[in-house]
Amino acid sequence: MAKQGIDIIDCDVHISLRGGHDLLPYMPDAMKRRLLESGTGALYSGYYSPVGVPRKDAAPPGGGPAASDPDFLVEQLIDQHQIDYALLTGTMYDVSSGHDADYAAAIVSAYNDYVLDHWIGKHPSFKGTVAVSTIDPQLAAREIDRLGQHPDMVAVIMSSAARMPFGQRFYHPIYEAAERQGLPVMIHPGTEGAGSTNGPTAAGYPSYYLEWHTCLSQTFMAHLVSLVCEGVFEKYPKLKFVLVEGGVAWLPHLMWRLDKNYKALRSQVPWLKKMPSQYIREHCYLTTQPIEEPDRPGDLITLFNMIDAENMLLFSSDYPHWDFDDPHAILRTMPADMKRKIYYENAKQLFKL
Amino acid sequence: MSVHFVAEVEEIPEGHRKIVQVGKRSIGIFNIRGEYYALLNYCPHYGAELCKGIVSGTTMESKVYEYIYGKDQEIIRCPWHGWEFDIKTGCSLFDEKVRAKRYEVIVQEGRIGLVLGASSSEAKGEQ
Ligand code: FES
Repeated sequence: MAKQGIDIIDCDVHISLRGGHDLLPYMPDAMKRRLLESGTGALYSGYYSPVGVPRKDAAPPGGGPAASDPDFLVEQLIDQHQIDYALLTGTMYDVSSGHDADYAAAIVSAYNDYVLDHWIGKHPSFKGTVAVSTIDPQLAAREIDRLGQHPDMVAVIMSSAARMPFGQRFYHPIYEAAERQGLPVMIHPGTEGAGSTNGPTAAGYPSYYLEWHTCLSQTFMAHLVSLVCEGVFEKYPKLKFVLVEGGVAWLPHLMWRLDKNYKALRSQVPWLKKMPSQYIREHCYLTTQPIEEPDRPGDLITLFNMIDAENMLLFSSDYPHWDFDDPHAILRTMPADMKRKIYYENAKQLFKL
Repeated sequence: MSVHFVAEVEEIPEGHRKIVQVGKRSIGIFNIRGEYYALLNYCPHYGAELCKGIVSGTTMESKVYEYIYGKDQEIIRCPWHGWEFDIKTGCSLFDEKVRAKRYEVIVQEGRIGLVLGASSSEAKGEQ
């Protein structure tokens, strides 16, 4: 082609690496492993875990990611730890951090159908949860109604990472559907700070997974206060709510503080007919993992006793993740009665098992 | 039981209050739409001078996201931490077992009297 006789500067040409590995020779040694494991930038929540997320011993011998093989899961979790029922809460939390409500709804529906086909019925201990995206609560309600009557679907599960606190009326169609179907609503962390969700801490975005993971409780506290104050449990008196993997030891602090504030500020929320902590006691449950580990283990039991927590806690292991709690190793100093409730009775009743 | 006359009716017009001293007791007298009520000027929470708070109405029990204004002039809000008390009963709005001590008021010949001592109404108003 003939040169046009003009000088040209192209100010935007996007060359590309052949792959992240291209950078390895130029990286400081301390950072190399991270590049190999997680690539060059933010993925998922954007927080890199140096211990990984799955347990290193949880990869199925036949290949595939941890907890993708029902037989190996039965062997490694159910049989080894003598578990009666396992609530399959899955991994579909990032659907709520996207932007496209219809696509997200299609993904969770497909996922729920996959779980019904490939897991439910494979072992008598398996119980399913209806995954929903919170981007469009009407679509979530439709999914809850689609699967809510399935005998092995015992709860609704959604991400705790959200665009606004869960008490707000935007979300009420989800609660209406869950109440209609008699299913508790569970929230679970994973994508705090990712995509369209709010920052993972009240102070903003921390630098490390260590900070991110420790501060997950903050999101749960804000959701719980919102649920109570916006009257969700007055509007949906049969609704039960489960806070999964958000920590436990903050609960007395929050209940005491909320009740104290309510004494002065009740005129803002005149629809509340009991002390705020009473709604929490009657409607909410917290799962135990990752259980706090104080220097004196008995302190945790003292704290549970302060707020009658034994009726609100449900054991969870978080298998196959790195911070897995072995039911026989944790909470050893717990009195037998409390143990029976937390490990079995409360969940049996709540999920009608 | 004894009656202590502490004010003239003209001193406390409707919607107003007067705080009086009777012996060691400081007591607030309120005129709500022509009726008089009296509360000990001492908040059962941490002892603030309760009767110096703002008198107003409040939001009544309602459905979720509904606000109904009521008890106009019948609520005193503690000047310290904001607890609301029903002036007519002394009860706090969040728990009727938490209450300010109240006294019976009588009006005779244009004078306002407080009934003090072991009267039944005072006993009822006690914490
Ligand atoms: S002293 Fe009255 S509310 Fe605290």
